[in-house]
Amino acid sequence: MTTQTQEKPLSVKGLFQFHDVIGLLSAGDAGFSNPVSIALGPDPDSSGMYVLSRANPNQPEAVRVTRCTKEGEYVGQFGQWGEAEGQFTWVTDMAFSHSGELFIADEHSHRISVFTPEGQYLRCFGKAGKGEGELDRPSGLAFDQKDNLLVVDTLNHRVQRLTKDGQFLSSWGSQGSGPGQFNMPWGIAVDGQDNVYITDWRNDRVQKFDRNGKALLAFGRSGAGEGEFNRPTGIAVDADGDVYVCDWRNDRVQVFGARGDYKDTLTGHAGMSQWALGYLAANPEVELKLNKAVQNIEPKKRFYRPVSVKVDGEGKVYVVDCYRHRVQIYQKR
Amino acid sequence: MTTANKALMAHLLRRAGFGATFQELETYCAQGYEATVEELLHPEGHPDIEEDLLERYYTDWKESRNIEGALTETVYRMNANATNRPLQEKMALFWHGVFATGLAKVLHEKTMLNQIEMFRNYGLGSFRELLVQLSRDPAMIFWLDNNFNHKGAPNENWGRELLELFAMGVGMDGQPNYTEDDVKEVARAFTGWTIDDDNVASIPFGKIPWRFRYLPEDHDDGEKTVLGHTGRFNGEDVIDIICQQPATARFISRHLYNFFVADEPQVPAWQNTPPRDLAAIQMLEKVYFDSNYDIRAMLRALFNSDFFQSEQVRFARVKSPAEVVVGTLHLLGDFKFPKRGIFETALECRYLGQDLLNPPSVEGWHTGKEWIDSGSMVGRVNFVSDQVTNIAQPGIRAMVDNLMSRGKSLSPEQVVEGCLELMGQLRLNQDTKRPIVEQVRAAGTLRTGTAKDRAHAQEVILRAMRMIGSTREYQFA
Repeated sequence: MTTQTQEKPLSVKGLFQFHDVIGLLSAGDAGFSNPVSIALGPDPDSSGMYVLSRANPNQPEAVRVTRCTKEGEYVGQFGQWGEAEGQFTWVTDMAFSHSGELFIADEHSHRISVFTPEGQYLRCFGKAGKGEGELDRPSGLAFDQKDNLLVVDTLNHRVQRLTKDGQFLSSWGSQGSGPGQFNMPWGIAVDGQDNVYITDWRNDRVQKFDRNGKALLAFGRSGAGEGEFNRPTGIAVDADGDVYVCDWRNDRVQVFGARGDYKDTLTGHAGMSQWALGYLAANPEVELKLNKAVQNIEPKKRFYRPVSVKVDGEGKVYVVDCYRHRVQIYQKR
Repeated sequence: MTTANKALMAHLLRRAGFGATFQELETYCAQGYEATVEELLHPEGHPDIEEDLLERYYTDWKESRNIEGALTETVYRMNANATNRPLQEKMALFWHGVFATGLAKVLHEKTMLNQIEMFRNYGLGSFRELLVQLSRDPAMIFWLDNNFNHKGAPNENWGRELLELFAMGVGMDGQPNYTEDDVKEVARAFTGWTIDDDNVASIPFGKIPWRFRYLPEDHDDGEKTVLGHTGRFNGEDVIDIICQQPATARFISRHLYNFFVADEPQVPAWQNTPPRDLAAIQMLEKVYFDSNYDIRAMLRALFNSDFFQSEQVRFARVKSPAEVVVGTLHLLGDFKFPKRGIFETALECRYLGQDLLNPPSVEGWHTGKEWIDSGSMVGRVNFVSDQVTNIAQPGIRAMVDNLMSRGKSLSPEQVVEGCLELMGQLRLNQDTKRPIVEQVRAAGTLRTGTAKDRAHAQEVILRAMRMIGSTREYQFA
């Protein structure tokens, strides 16, 4: 009898294979606390990943950016809770500009703060309002091919294009459910042709625009079937033009072609991360409790409100699993 | 709609909800008292909280990890439901006080929050069904050790409190309601009613709410004698027997009267202290049996009764801290949409003496005048007076605008009476009201013509509202 190596699990249609999990509930150091966004560093080889924790008001110190390698080696953390410049409270999303600065959105202060990749505060811009350059609960951030910032201006139901200093360039969208309209949009991604994808959160759909904000395509409707959404959040586009959508309240990530054609679904397959194993080794009483609860482990492997997704140049898909405080990684096959 | 009718409607909403804004009172009055009672009794006819918005903004609530977070969520939901489903929310608060379960022991916030949600779902229905749900509630099972209540090795905690504190009380009319043998037999009937998990730490996965599990192999299926009935009872059989008891009708009637009508003595005194209004209690007891233990029917009878509508009981109940905090937030129109800051505001309940989801013991909170001591009174006054002067709050803005729209000039009496009316048909005794009127008078004649006039009038009105919010009378429902 030969010993078989256990294959890592596959996505529903088999186009993706589970690769790894990084994460642990933690208010500091190696771990996350209700993470809401992931950014891959400006240097793909060395910068690793950045994870933004929203945490809770009882643990303000846990609101932070955690840095680690893509293999899960902890690098460091930065960020401070507060309302002064350089601080943030209700973080929603972050993105690196092509020039390598990290932009973080705070929907309490209605502003964007800018940091170096090492976490040094540089500047901030934005204030509450409905005018040009003003924001009402900013969420998704992305950069276009000209390295201008695209901000999802959630409660103004629009997308704004700003310079990296916050100067207004253009905007599109209004409240509604028609083409080009939004109902509390959340996530944003830009593809190689400078097309813009927006998760239209309360309309349960994804809209695709050209670089000028002209509506090109919309796909999805409310529901739990293939191609249906229950409040889509994060979104990403890979080099092939495939679109990854965090289907938040359906606890899954759906993958589509560039025309919105359904391709596959990721449901989550995380076991123990290295950080979790390290924690359990140091806290054997917790492991004992976990072993008692072994019948409940299986559901915990699944996504629980996936909220942000990014794809790297190697076809690895990084999904922020918000309520499980971890990042699940899949490999495109 | 007469002022008298508005005052009655405001009384109903203070008791059956968390107060009503002046706009809500207009709407309720337009449909009439009895129709409003029916509306309150049927929350399912009104929109529920939009859960996606809560998950969107309060990402930590879905698997709440600390007592403060659970308290915050509870306060938020009470305030959010104060417009559409006030009685449903008030009943959740009521049952939380009666079936007091606490995080000091349970240590599992989401499981506790699920218990409160169960009260929302079952709190206006059959008392029998509510007791069944309570017996299956994981937080309660853990709180009273029923997960340690095994066949051949019973643990009596749950059985005892079910009889003593949750359904019958120790006695009535000077007589005990049950014996120690009944306690032991009830405990045997609930062996095997347990939860599927122990107290799993939140690390590394986050906490998963406990679930009820029935283990037939751990259930004592032998013959039992409970309150004079003999059989091979399981838990639901015992609940049936309990629900048939006159003591149960008395116990629930007194609790409803105490919470909605007028303060009764504390529960431990009920065996030897007759009800404050025996006729009212007997009427409620009759409805309990006639309706097959239906809480909704009892409340309908209560709200439509003369004893509830009587002038004598209005402003005669000391508000609980939750009623002060949530009622004030509702008056302000604050936190009707998720935003930051609810955490700090909700903690006021704790500071004022009601640490929601964490009662001092299985007896719950002592109510009535026991809510008040010198420290908590100062805290109440400070909280309210700080809140009601914030003109940025939509409810305050609406009240000030309404008052200023009543004429080109406002007399001091018009200002104070107007504030009292707009803040919920409040009533002050003359000794309290007089200095407030004089304060307003000292500001000179209030005019509303120019922007400068209006700014001055606004300042004076806000000052009057602050003084009204600081009165002893504001602390009564």
